[in-house]
Amino acid sequence: MTKRYVGSLLVGVLIGVVVGVFLGWEQYPVEYTNSPLSALAPYYQDEYTLMVAEGYQYDQDINAALERLQPLGKPNVFDYIQDLTERYISQSNVPAIPVMVALSEAVGRLTPIMEIYRMTPVPSPTPMVSQ
Amino acid sequence: MRAGGGGLSWFALILGVAIGIGAGLFYTWEIDPIIEHNTAPWQLGKAAREDYVVAVALSYAHNRDLTLAFNRLLALKPEQNVWQLVADVACERVKTGKTVSNSDIRVIRALEQLYRPQGASGCADGLYPTPAPLVFVTPIPSPTATPTLPPPPTKTPTPSSVAIVSPPVLPTPTPAVGERFIVTRTQSFCDPNVDGVIEVRVYDEAGEGIPGVPVTVLWSGSETERFYTGLQPERGLEYADFQMTPGRTYTVTIPGLVSAPPQVEAAPCRAELDGEMVTVTTSYWVNFQQRAR
Repeated sequence: MTKRYVGSLLVGVLIGVVVGVFLGWEQYPVEYTNSPLSALAPYYQDEYTLMVAEGYQYDQDINAALERLQPLGKPNVFDYIQDLTERYISQSNVPAIPVMVALSEAVGRLTPIMEIYRMTPVPSPTPMVSQ
Repeated sequence: MRAGGGGLSWFALILGVAIGIGAGLFYTWEIDPIIEHNTAPWQLGKAAREDYVVAVALSYAHNRDLTLAFNRLLALKPEQNVWQLVADVACERVKTGKTVSNSDIRVIRALEQLYRPQGASGCADGLYPTPAPLVFVTPIPSPTATPTLPPPPTKTPTPSSVAIVSPPVLPTPTPAVGERFIVTRTQSFCDPNVDGVIEVRVYDEAGEGIPGVPVTVLWSGSETERFYTGLQPERGLEYADFQMTPGRTYTVTIPGLVSAPPQVEAAPCRAELDGEMVTVTTSYWVNFQQRAR
């Protein structure tokens, strides 16, 4: 009687643990809601970096751009910028390439593959006080 | 309670399953949860959300793609209107003193450029107005009349009476629904004789002026005025203008516009009139052109 009871309990626990682990890791894993930028999925990290690169085009402040990239927690942010730029080039992500190349150039990571995507500087017109 | 001849106690089995599930969930949620590596923007904490919104605003300040900015903000799954979220971030940055450096000021301006035209507002409204743009004028060469010799008198006799038939007046072309236009020029100028005027010109693919195009100007969130090109033929069939009120920001658009509608600000500027510097309101040239198919 006791043997049967204990045996049934053990079998039940075994089944329960398997089910519980499946639920806890696969079906209903822990969802974090107070995450840092460094925990973002790679896609969103790339998207964030692209936005920072576009922001650099707006304000031309490379220090501010690098500061904005710090929360991503990359060990070497210059390497990361270069890698992402070269990845966008290899993926022909046309809209993203020029701004990322400009950011790479600003941090001194303009590689030969990026050269042809550099934005051509536009000569500034002569200001006139009045017409 | 016992299973019919199977040698199992159903009670013990169910109790065991319950204990096992509890233990399994405790282990997977508390002791060894899945390592966080695939977080979406909506899961970001407050500081990270602020960084993300700032990046969206700076990106928008560069590319002026409102739809893209909206979709990026939507990824944050905000509890309120996405534009109000941007306004709140700007307000929070002002309150917490993140307005020290030039970069901080530009961030506030970028945030404001994103949320204010969409009707949102916050405590950062108008604190750091965008300075009036510098006036860069590209001199347009005026056509020089080339002297030509008068044509020699022809020897062909002219009929004494010739019926002069004027060419038929063709209906003026107006853009059909579905035409796609882009903004080709948005440029400010400071002219004491043209005080706060938006000069709109609409061209077709070949660069010919299109009359009869309805131009809509929006301001203050809900005010609009519509006027048409070609009503001042002495200025060209493509031409229409609008008188601005100083201090307001206007959005100019036409039907079929596929690029972001330009925004202009009736900001004060200084210009020379009869040897004296006077303050007038900035005027703008805004050109639209049909996009090549």
